Amino acid sequence: MSTKLNPNPLQEPGRSSRNIDPCIVVIFGATGDLTGRKLAPALYNLGREGMLPPNFACVGFARREKTHEQFRSELKQDIGSYSRTQPIDEGFWNKFQEQIFYHRSEFDDDQGYRALADFLRQLDNRYATRGNRLFYLSVQPKFFPIIVQKLKANGLIYDSKTEGKWSRVIVEKPFGHDFGSAAILQKELSKDLDESQTYRIDHYLGKETVQNILVFRFANSIFESLWNYKHIDHVQITVAEEIGIGTRGQFFEEEGLLRDILQNHMMQLLSLVAMEPPVSLSASAIRDEKVKVLQSIRPLSPNDFENTVIRGQYGPGFINGQPVNGYRKEADVDPKSSVETYVALRLFIDNWRWAGVPFYLRGGKRLPKRGTEIAVTFKDAPGVLFQQQGKKHDPNVLALRIQPDEGISMKINCKVPGPSSPIQPVKMDFRYGSYFGQSPPEAYERLIWDCIVGDSTLFARADEVAQSWQIYTPLLEYWASHPPKDLPNYASGSWGPAAANAMIEKDGRTWRIL
Amino acid sequence: MTIQQIVDPDHIESELLKIWEALAAEKKMRASLFNLIVFTRLSPRTDYIRSIVQKVVEKFPCRTLFVSQDGSAKHSFLKTAVSVVVPNLGESTVACDQIDIGVAGDNLEKVPFLLLPHILPDLPVYLLWAEDPSQPHPLFAPLSAIATRIIFDSESADHLLPFAEKLLEIHTKRNIDIADLNWARTEGWRDLIASTFDTEKRLAELKQISSLKLIYNARETEFFCHLKIQAMYLLAWLSSRLSWQFLKATKKLHFEFCPKIHATIESTHWENLGSGTVISVEIAAGGLTFEAARIPEQYHRVNIQISSSQTCELPYQFLLGQTATGQSLVKEITTKGTSTHYLAMLKELTRLGLGDLC
Repeated sequence: MSTKLNPNPLQEPGRSSRNIDPCIVVIFGATGDLTGRKLAPALYNLGREGMLPPNFACVGFARREKTHEQFRSELKQDIGSYSRTQPIDEGFWNKFQEQIFYHRSEFDDDQGYRALADFLRQLDNRYATRGNRLFYLSVQPKFFPIIVQKLKANGLIYDSKTEGKWSRVIVEKPFGHDFGSAAILQKELSKDLDESQTYRIDHYLGKETVQNILVFRFANSIFESLWNYKHIDHVQITVAEEIGIGTRGQFFEEEGLLRDILQNHMMQLLSLVAMEPPVSLSASAIRDEKVKVLQSIRPLSPNDFENTVIRGQYGPGFINGQPVNGYRKEADVDPKSSVETYVALRLFIDNWRWAGVPFYLRGGKRLPKRGTEIAVTFKDAPGVLFQQQGKKHDPNVLALRIQPDEGISMKINCKVPGPSSPIQPVKMDFRYGSYFGQSPPEAYERLIWDCIVGDSTLFARADEVAQSWQIYTPLLEYWASHPPKDLPNYASGSWGPAAANAMIEKDGRTWRIL
Repeated sequence: MTIQQIVDPDHIESELLKIWEALAAEKKMRASLFNLIVFTRLSPRTDYIRSIVQKVVEKFPCRTLFVSQDGSAKHSFLKTAVSVVVPNLGESTVACDQIDIGVAGDNLEKVPFLLLPHILPDLPVYLLWAEDPSQPHPLFAPLSAIATRIIFDSESADHLLPFAEKLLEIHTKRNIDIADLNWARTEGWRDLIASTFDTEKRLAELKQISSLKLIYNARETEFFCHLKIQAMYLLAWLSSRLSWQFLKATKKLHFEFCPKIHATIESTHWENLGSGTVISVEIAAGGLTFEAARIPEQYHRVNIQISSSQTCELPYQFLLGQTATGQSLVKEITTKGTSTHYLAMLKELTRLGLGDLC
């Protein structure tokens, strides 16, 4: 067996996380919401904890006129509002901000890119960043191709085989609107960008608890041996949000919940729960296995569209005792909109491990509480012992709580003390907060850092995205030609439409209450 | 921390339970990732060791069993006390148990028996041995026997050579994970050097090294008096990583290595910087000069300047991290395995002819 040799004797593999290539991070859409809420706090926290390379600079690229000082001051304000660590470490910030710059240009202006290239060269000289570039496209997807094309044309994206320096591009979701548009977008990007340079971000994969799914499954032998159709009755994946669409009316009218949450985040969770053990922990090995899961999903049929896929839209109701509007009364929303804010559906994975095991997926806005969870329900024990008046015991349920209150719980049956021996389900609970105290890094911190070190494990590969769209595009087309007649069909603050309950109850099961 | 309750040894668990019941109203959650046994002799260093334990607990809640031996007591005694440690992190809901054992005289032999029933099962047992392991102590063998990892601090060693030999012996004989607080304290500098010399070209230049100068902070305190150790660690680490051959050393801490490398360790005095901390590193190698020095008043930042006869790169800064009390220290002593670099460095120390140098 060959052993990977460490070429640098000063570095100890697996121990130091500080040997990172110097680089410049360029954020497109630097004046946008995502930069302020997530990217700036992520870079600040990475820097503060010494996780960024010492030779580092950050350039914000946007269309508004602004000075470096104005940009820095706005970022500071955002960090003060949104960083997980407060208050701002003034000593650190004062030094860090000197490495932050602003560059104004239109996204399609060659002159702007030429000026950017010159500016980055100057920064290379000043900060010894060696020409390494990370471009973060925090812009609407329609700008992805033109930005990448201009970057390439101006020598800012190198050939992937260029030695000694690298260029990488992070693209935000949504990656396409359906299978066809995703394929066109991919074709456009791949003209100028190699797959190894493309980092399609799905921030769910940056969450510690999502990464823990692999550890939980493959570092604990007791669960993996039960992780199949012989022992598992069904799996429920829930992404519930208490909030409505807020100020994202226009976006949501175009996208809907299926595109916003289900096609990407929920399918990532499903892939991680259902995948086979990878041959190694390399990015390609893990992503190969995830793609196989998606390839094994039984295509949804027109019969499924009618019976096992439920779409919903919230009407008025109450959240935390306060009245809230229905979706159609939200800002920038068509008063007759038929866009879904809730989806529940059943999928089957037609492979050896999961034959016949239904996966119920449910995601929605304006549900009673925020919570993301994967619940694995095991088959009943043979019912010959401990029967109580003909009633079956509760099944064992293993729940992986992704957010909030991250943790893992296991429902088991237990004897109530006393002579009559009734059986009571009890919960064994592991809470991340209890064990690991401090707040974990934000997903964006982990993902930006991974991109700087060139690890694409937690980013979606082109074939993953395409495969996921392939599953849902027929459904989206069906929905487009069959507008629903009963929307809104659930009250804000409820657990969704009655039809979703009926769908799962028909299978003899019920949705979990989070 | 809740107020310490002095209890009879057989009431330790029941008293802890009472404290937890009282804390229930504050919604504090009892948590423990591992058992941490700490042994120290009562001295001015004890408070420092307690502060390290507090940092560990803040990052990783654990059950602490803190044993302090009073070597100056006139009478033999054994006192036990319990408390609950709440990390100083605002409104943290997590807290954990602490069991304190004060001991003197012939009661020492009872300590292992007293500890055993209070080890939480199925969790790792870390032993922080805050004394010199090269000096025989009746508790070391029984406590290390139940430990899954032993954390030392070479600062507590009277002499570095027997310390290094003893640790290598422990690691070889027991194949147990070991860590060293002083090694953790130099992590930032090792990262700095590794990340600076991270290309083939730079590494090739470093291999042509002709001189190395390390400057450390010679500010002595009540509990930090072996001040050269961190600088010695860095020297031995570089020497082991770059396969230098030791030739000779002088009492003034001048070292000669083959091929033609001259290394010196010098001291200066910075009042507010941790004692023994490395302040600067200078390397001359193949026409290249590398200078890295802490910035006064911003001690955890290092200014780096690289120049040659032809070029002078713009200086840049490296964030060392506040290793003395920070996260990297806690990680080093709890979650990482034994560093192979550390073991190689210890071996190198045994070759450096330390004699009475350290």
